[in-house]
Formats: sequence, C-alpha cells, structure tokens
Amino acid sequence: MYYLHISKEEWDQALEQLLSTYNIFAPLESEFGQDYEFIEAASIQNIIYNKPKPAAPLKSFFLPVKENVSSQPGSQKPRIIMGIPNCDIAGIGILDEIYLDKDFHDLFYSNRRDNTILIASDCIGILEHCHCSSYNINPYSTVIADMAVIKMENEIIIRVISAKGEELTRLIPHVQPLTGEGVISSVDAVHKATEELLQSANSRLPDYSRTGNLVKDAKSEIWEKYSSHCVSCGACTTICPTCTCFLLIDKPGFEKVKQLDACQYPGFERVAGGEDSLIDLHIRFRNRYMCKYVWKPSKFKSRACTGCGRCIEACIGKINKNELFMELV
Amino acid sequence: MVNNRNIYKPVRAKLTDVIEESPLIKTFVLIPEEKFAFKTGQFIELSVDGIGEAPFTPSSSPLVTDKLEVTVMKTGYVTEYMHVLKPGVFMGIRGPYGRGYPVDKFFGKEVLILGGGCGLAPIRSLLYALEAVKDKLLKVILCYGSKTPTDCIYKPLFNRLSKTEKFEAYRTVDKAEEGWDGSVGVVTTLLTRIKVEIKNSVAVVCGPPVMMKFGTIRLLEMGYTDDQIYLSMEKNMSCGLGKCGHCMMGEFFVCKDGPVFTYNELKNTPDIWK
Repeated sequence: MYYLHISKEEWDQALEQLLSTYNIFAPLESEFGQDYEFIEAASIQNIIYNKPKPAAPLKSFFLPVKENVSSQPGSQKPRIIMGIPNCDIAGIGILDEIYLDKDFHDLFYSNRRDNTILIASDCIGILEHCHCSSYNINPYSTVIADMAVIKMENEIIIRVISAKGEELTRLIPHVQPLTGEGVISSVDAVHKATEELLQSANSRLPDYSRTGNLVKDAKSEIWEKYSSHCVSCGACTTICPTCTCFLLIDKPGFEKVKQLDACQYPGFERVAGGEDSLIDLHIRFRNRYMCKYVWKPSKFKSRACTGCGRCIEACIGKINKNELFMELV
Repeated sequence: MVNNRNIYKPVRAKLTDVIEESPLIKTFVLIPEEKFAFKTGQFIELSVDGIGEAPFTPSSSPLVTDKLEVTVMKTGYVTEYMHVLKPGVFMGIRGPYGRGYPVDKFFGKEVLILGGGCGLAPIRSLLYALEAVKDKLLKVILCYGSKTPTDCIYKPLFNRLSKTEKFEAYRTVDKAEEGWDGSVGVVTTLLTRIKVEIKNSVAVVCGPPVMMKFGTIRLLEMGYTDDQIYLSMEKNMSCGLGKCGHCMMGEFFVCKDGPVFTYNELKNTPDIWK
C-alpha cells in the first residue's frame, strides 16, 4: 500500500479518458440524496468525494435483483466503481466468501468481481446512523478495494491497495508518488477526526462480539417489542450490503432465474408440508439479528454487519437496531 | 482450482418409470444424460421443467451411476406436478449436494435405523450401501413405521432384508387395517423388541420431524450418546450450494453442512424439529 497524488483537474481529465475503456459509476447528488450513477464526461465534475454515503449498497452492482443464470455469463465492458465507503467495501468481504467459495464458485458473481475496479472513498464526517468503527471497520479502506481516493483541496490523494489498483494508476497520466510526510499526516488527521466523530456518536453501542452474545441471550420480549412495528417489507435486507439470500425460480427449458429474497418475507423457510420455523413475526425478526451477529460470525471471517446504518434509515416502522442493542446492554 | 461449471444449471434426466409405492408416494426412475454419482445420504434438487425444483435424497443405490431413483411424497406445489408425470418426459437434476451418511464410520458396529413414512427413501439408499459392505458391519436393524399398512413403502424390501445375513427388519403401523397382524404403535415401540449392544452401535433416524424428535429422545433414554445418533435433516434447501439462505438452521446450511448431522452437532441449535 502506498500513496500517489494528482491535481483534481488532471484526475478529471484522466477519468474522461478512462470512459472509453470503462463504464464508470460514482456518487452524484440529486434532490433525493446521494447515489451511484453512470458517469458521462459532463458529470465528472459533479462526482462527490469523501462524503458518506450512497443510498444503495455496493452489492447491487454484483447481485442484481433478478437475473437468468441458465447460460454462461457473457463478457461485459470493464467497469470502475468510485466513491465506495468502507462499510460497503467490507460488505464485499462476506459476499466473496459466499460466492467465490471453492466448492460452488458462482461464475456470474466472479465475472462481475473480475470485471470491476473498486475505488474506495475515505469518509470525511459521518451520517446520523454510521457506526462502522463499533464493529472494527475503519471509515477508510486498506483492504479488498483496489484503491482509495481522498480529495484534499485541489489535489486527489490516491492510496494504492491492490495489484489491480496499481495497474489502473498506469493509465492515469501525471500521477506522482507522494513523498512529503505532511500530506500523509493530513490524511491521517482526517481519518482520526472521522473516527472520533464515530466514537462519540456511538459511545453507548456494544461492539460486534458483545452484540452477538446479547442477541443470543435476549429474551423473546425484546423481539416482540421491536418487531411490533415490523411489516415484513424486507427493506432492511434489500438495503443491507451483506444480505444476500435468494430464490431460484424455474422457467421452461430448465432455465433458472435467481432473484434476491429475504428471511424477513413470510414463507422464506416454509417447506412443502407447510412447516415454517419462521412463521412467527418476532422469530422471523430475530432471525436476521441471529444471522448477522451470531451465526454468520461463527461461519465466516468477514463481518455480516458493517455498521452502515442503512437498515435504520430504510425502516418504515422506524425500527432502530442500535436502540435495540443499547436496550439489551 | 476453480471450477468453471455453471452451478445453477441442471442436468437433464429422462423419466423411464414411475412406481406407485403408496397412495401418496411414487418412485421416479431417472436416466441422467450425464453420469451421476452420489454418496448415500446426499441430496439432489429435482425439477419439473418450468414449474420448480425441490430437494430429495435419492432412494437408489449409490453404487449405480447411470440410473437414479427418487421417491417423492405428494405434499406441495412441485410434488403435485411430479405425481402426474408420465415416463418419457425429462426432469432436471442438480447435485449431488451436502454431506451424506459416513458409512465407513459404521464399520465394526451395529447399525440401528429408525425410519418413518417417506423417510424410508434415504434409508433404502443407505441399506443398499450397507449391504455392499456388510462384511465390515456387525449387524443392521431397520425399524420402520408408517401410518397404515397401505402407506408402507418398498414392501418387498422387508422380505428381502429379513433373508439377508446380518440384517433384521421390523415394521409397525400407527393404525391397523384388515389383514394386518403386525405391530401397532409408533416406531419407537419396536425398540423394545430388538437387541443392540449400544456401546458399539450407531443409530440413524430419518422421518417426519415429530418422529425424528421422539425417536432421538427414545434413543438417548436407551443410552445412545449424542454423537452416536445420525439425523437426516430436512429444510427448504433451495440452491443446495450454501448460498441462498433458505435452509439455514442456526449456524448451519443444511444443504452444505448436512443434511446428515449427528445429534451432538445440532443439540444446541434452536427449533431443529420444526
């Protein structure tokens, strides 16, 4: 890992040149907030840097809501996704473990991963529900992403993370090694400032392993209380960067269509005889917490909740999982 | 090394025969278009073209790779369609998936098998596998319960097993019918009739959830330890690949970590009998 820098003007020019080889997606602001958009030359100047966070999770680039998985995946124009907060980058960790599993390698997922360069964004400042650092995830990327970018005044500072990221820097003219310690310590200071904001906003929130034990030991009253506002809409799972459950639907010709599904929908675990271990709302509601904080942690190395806070923002029942955890403490 | 096969694509298999086992249960005989090997206790996803797929453990011998038998109870949307299929059509199969019965761990032991209803399907496959290695086993005892004598599947199997060296087979029914002079009662009632040396034995349980629950409880009362009891679990295994989440049972993906588990592995998992 090392740092490079380039002027903002030259960076924008480089992005314009890259458009001929890559499809570029980056966060833009609209009246509805910030989200990943397809970038054309005219919108390069409007790309948002270092401000948390796009409305959609990064997984939507790798796991379409619905896709036919019957034939071999076709080749596509390579793409660059920019402006990814580290909560989303960390979310890719568990998706990689699940979909790039050596026994059952998902070609559709792996093709998209191979075809995509991930440019992370160091978060400057936080949103109301951001809590990545409570789960040991930094508000800046040092792994999984290919490079990370931080805009400081009229300079773009690039942290090169992977070989794929290094390869991309060769396509960016005028990029220079960052030698002065001064800029790097300014970057460190920005990281520290965001970390302090996260810490003070979430000082009462239990950490990841403690949350797991609290969830495991919680009595049914707490699940009944919080699920009383749940309408099983599945917004929390749809918006979650790590929720990945799906359904295979059969089409004539033995074709399979893979569609995102969620344990919060009634009938998710129903078997043919009618048995359904998640039929009760509070048990179904609890299932998501058990999955993220108890079961997945015992099975995978990567975090199953990266503290992005989107499930809190998306819930129409205004259910705040962090309030639930703080009540359990 | 990464396999470049599309994990979601089924292999076509020609349906060559449909055997009526009981009013609700049929066995489908399939010839896959590609060689299809499985280990006993592993399961497959069997599909009706354009309708849907469902998980089943083959009921045929794992030693046969060009033909596959799957025994299906009519109990839901997909199986309703299966039950009207006639020989000549093509079905789809994916798999085999999961962890089957660890037959080599049964060597030198007595194997007690408790089966209920359609749960005899995976057990028949296991019995074929055990017959092939019977020299290495002390004995195999099958205790099987069905609702009525009419609901009993694979009737010729019991005759054959009772004539096979080292094998014993017992049947019971919940409700007798005219002409039935055998045992009446749930499957665990048969356990009073058998002789096993529990210390040197393993028990296999496969059947409806309620039978698995009470079968396991009875085996524990008899003195079987948690890791001597093998359970074949059934959940809504949809992808079979440990990805889709439908069959999660606590930390386990039943499709990948199971479907065969020891009771020891599952005893701390909530709601396993649901």
